Parts: sequence; structure tokens; C-alpha cells
Amino acid sequence: MLGSESVTIAALTSALDGLAARQRAIADNIANINTPNYHAERVLFEDALAQSVKEGSGEVTPAIRRSLEPTREDGNNVNLDTETLSNVDTVLRYQFAARAVDAPFANVRAAMGMA
Amino acid sequence: MTFDAIGIASTGMTVHRKWLDAISDNLANINTATPTNGPAFQARYVEVEENAGTQGVSVRGAVFGDPEGRLVYEPSNPVADADGYVRYPDIDLGSQMTSLILAQRGYEASAAVVDRARETYTAALQIGQR
Repeated sequence: MLGSESVTIAALTSALDGLAARQRAIADNIANINTPNYHAERVLFEDALAQSVKEGSGEVTPAIRRSLEPTREDGNNVNLDTETLSNVDTVLRYQFAARAVDAPFANVRAAMGMA
Repeated sequence: MTFDAIGIASTGMTVHRKWLDAISDNLANINTATPTNGPAFQARYVEVEENAGTQGVSVRGAVFGDPEGRLVYEPSNPVADADGYVRYPDIDLGSQMTSLILAQRGYEASAAVVDRARETYTAALQIGQR
């Protein structure tokens, strides 16, 4: 039954949304790598998502915060190593979540006799 | 929009390309002698700003170098004045070359983001196809 899966689907959808938002933030940070006084954006949603799943909802809105790390001489604190690693990590997590969100749908499809 | 990482990366590429253009123009004109009754070649420096709300970056405008330049005694130069002086632009080759590397690396970094964004979109397109 899809009803029992709804928290799973809601949580995975929230994770996909959060990861997509993080992907955008990383693209923004790297685009602004030489912009004076730019502070890197950080997308936070994992802790809130874990809490939300515990409460039986699974829905969260990703929060965007500015990094408070020390800046370079030009007032910018984007670190290309960190951003690149985070980018690769986010892509893999996104692929993982996209694969996971398939499973409940595959069950529904099996139940409908389509596959 | 959910899927605009490629668009954001492209703003980064555009800004760094414009910076590269400005640097190559400055370097090409580093030995441009002008008569002393006019301004020297003025180096162009791009001024950038962050776009509001995770929308990348854009060029705000340009700042120009000192029109005074530096006076060089070069009496054989056809544009030299009566005292034998010409104007050369006051461009520091070292800082221009440093900026060149920064601009090139910045461009490459944003170009790499495009590749990774494509991997993400491919994953999204495959949802429900297995």
C-alpha cells in the first residue's frame, strides 16, 4: 500500500529537494569564487529531516545559511576543495536518493500488473 | 527553480570569460605608447557582484586604470612630444598574469560544475524508469 510508504516518499522527496538546493548553492559558490566579500552558502536539511521522519511527517524545507569561516584577503571565504568535494558528494547522494525513491513506485507498478 | 545549477554555473563562466577578455586586452596593450597630450591606455578591471538569492554572479561594470600612465623618454618614437616623452600605460605585468591564472581557474571550476549538474539531472530523469 502506498499509504504506508508515504513517509518514505515524503522523506526521499525532501532529501532530493534539499540535495538539489545544495547543488545550486555549490554552483553559486563556485560561480562567485572570485567575487569580493562573497560568503559561501550552506544548505542544511539533514538534521531537520531526521527529526521530521521521527515525528512521522518526512517533510522539510532546506535552510540556507552563510558560512562564517574566515575569509581571504578579498573578503571571500569560498574554498574550492570543499565545494568540489561537496559537489561530488551531493551528486552521489542525489543518485542514491533517486534510486531509493524508485523502489516504492516499482512496488506499486508490480501491484498494478504493469511490470 | 529546482534545476538551474547549469544556469548558475554559466553565470560564473561568463563572468570569468569577461575577466579573461579584459586581462588579454590589458596585456595586448601593455606596450601601447600614446602622445603625452592625450591619456595613456587605461587598463580595464571588471567589477562583479553576487546576484541576489542563489542566482550566480554578474559583471556590475568596469573600473579603468590611471589615464596618466607613466612618462617614458623615447625621443625616437614618432608620437613623442617636443621634449621626447611618450605615455605608456601603468600596467603591472605580474598582477595581470596572476589575475589571468585566477580567471582561468575560476572558469574551469564553473565548467566542472556543469558536468556534475548533468549527472544529477540524469539521475532525476531516471526516476520511475526502473
